[in-house]
Amino acid sequence: MTTHVPSCASSIDNRFAPARMRRTVLEMAYAGSTVHIGCAFSIIELLTVLYRNHLRYPGNDPRAEGRDYLILSKGHGVMAQYACMHEMGWLNDSHIQGYFADGSDLKGLSDSRVPGLEVTSGSLGHGFSVGVGIAMGLQRKATDRKVYVIVGDGELNEGPIWEGTLVAAHHKIDNLMLIVDKNGFQAMGTTDDVLALGDLSAKFNSFGFETLEVDGHDEAAVDAAIRHLWTNGMGKPKALIAQTVKGKGVPFMESDNRWHYTRLNAQTFAEAIDALGLAEVAK
Amino acid sequence: MREAFSNALVRLALADPKVLLLTGDHGYALFDGFRKHCPDQYINAGIAEQNMVGMAAGLARMGFRPFVYGLAAFVPVRTVEQIKLDVAHDNLPVVLLGDGAGFVYSHLGTSHQSTEDIACTRAIPGLQVLSPADRFEMTACMYYAYKAKAPVYLRMGKSDRGDVHSGSIESLISGGLLKVRNGRADLPGLIATGSMVRTAIDLAKVLELSVWSAPILKPLLPADVCTAANETNSLVTIEEHSVLGGLGAAVAEVTSEKQPTRVLRLGVRDRFSEHCGTYDYLLREHGLDIDSIYERIMMFCNSTESSTAAVDPR
Repeated sequence: MTTHVPSCASSIDNRFAPARMRRTVLEMAYAGSTVHIGCAFSIIELLTVLYRNHLRYPGNDPRAEGRDYLILSKGHGVMAQYACMHEMGWLNDSHIQGYFADGSDLKGLSDSRVPGLEVTSGSLGHGFSVGVGIAMGLQRKATDRKVYVIVGDGELNEGPIWEGTLVAAHHKIDNLMLIVDKNGFQAMGTTDDVLALGDLSAKFNSFGFETLEVDGHDEAAVDAAIRHLWTNGMGKPKALIAQTVKGKGVPFMESDNRWHYTRLNAQTFAEAIDALGLAEVAK
Repeated sequence: MREAFSNALVRLALADPKVLLLTGDHGYALFDGFRKHCPDQYINAGIAEQNMVGMAAGLARMGFRPFVYGLAAFVPVRTVEQIKLDVAHDNLPVVLLGDGAGFVYSHLGTSHQSTEDIACTRAIPGLQVLSPADRFEMTACMYYAYKAKAPVYLRMGKSDRGDVHSGSIESLISGGLLKVRNGRADLPGLIATGSMVRTAIDLAKVLELSVWSAPILKPLLPADVCTAANETNSLVTIEEHSVLGGLGAAVAEVTSEKQPTRVLRLGVRDRFSEHCGTYDYLLREHGLDIDSIYERIMMFCNSTESSTAAVDPR
């Protein structure tokens, strides 16, 4: 199978500016009076790089036959993906402002029936297995299409993830990249306190993955790491361990697990928007 | 019956290269033919059923036609959530094959027995549930499942109980009950599925009862159930499965709404197996041997009120 490395996207592509995407997330969370802001903020730069530089959607169609797959297995971060879909033009402002309105389509967790989302997740440990199957299917069809699966580090508690890693390595599924959003928190505390994960790179290496660690908020580093993984370790599935900060971008939310559960009020919404420092970003 | 299953699978796979067989490291001799004729379409996914079902969903989304094989205790029961979220929610054409359903593994105990699989799968939206009784129904069910292009659970129970049909069934009508014996109108009619159809026919010979086989448990055609109720004075359902949520429940759901009829539900009475032994021993333990069933039906005929209860009173 040939390895596809996408050409570097234009640096003048102003879409997917992280601060503006965080603003979209805050607007949704405020409009819908909902939670999971911290989980969305930790994957903003990862999604920025994937959507801007890597994911291929022929005809800008979220359901295009020839697309790459981005599977958000940690469905709790779905507002970040909605923000990307807004940047892609797949969602309009009324989707954002009408989040959680009665009868609306965009749910609080990833749902496969929404064009642009690939799986129904949030029950954790599902998306990776589906991604393994999609990647295996693409390999059998001898395409160069790629599958990216974003899991939370807390999600790595789930057994099917490790079943899937065995299968992916055994079957040499090298068009598959597992991206771990290693923000160090899960619902009830830090991953170290709840169920320590140990050395993740060593774990994925020992499972037969080509593995890299990266600062998940450094766009250039993330981009380089993804390119490196696709061009190294022929025949091996890929794992990108992205060190991230839960709640990244709004100082009073960073590494404060209350923002897994806390809803915005008028004051915290305004403070959070201010904290984004959007002056340099076109609104 | 197992040969019919294996042959149908090989024929389907030879005719359609998109057919894939995924197994959770089960089916040692059963798949010799498949591995010989279609080695590239055979995937042993390891002892990892949850991932296997999720993976099958991914393969189905890429246009493949996965048949996912495991013991019924694992596929579907262990993997109910993967079936619900990854397969059924997206209406994917995945065929789930649950082997050894009921008390087939009579000596191995509860971990390998499954008497809750129909109840689990019937409640999942869009998932069809099949339960063939003999080799002819098995072949028909395999083709039905393939043509459905939708999520299907095919329950494979005790396979050596003999034929209940005299020849191949040309086509299965969606939800159709198959009448396999005519009996008296002033007596109960028997509706059975899987392994219990043979038992029902043997009983009916003695008691002159009508018998219907139910190879398709979901969807169950209400009109067929009403016909059975019309042609008899009451109904008795027999299944190697819990009386909660299985064939008996499905029949009673129809009759209670469409055609109030007394329904005696014979099956596993909300309990696990106590002991181990031969298959025949275990049927006796659960009151599903022919003598016990005969007694229950006689009591039912002689009583004026329902003689069955969800929870075994003993």
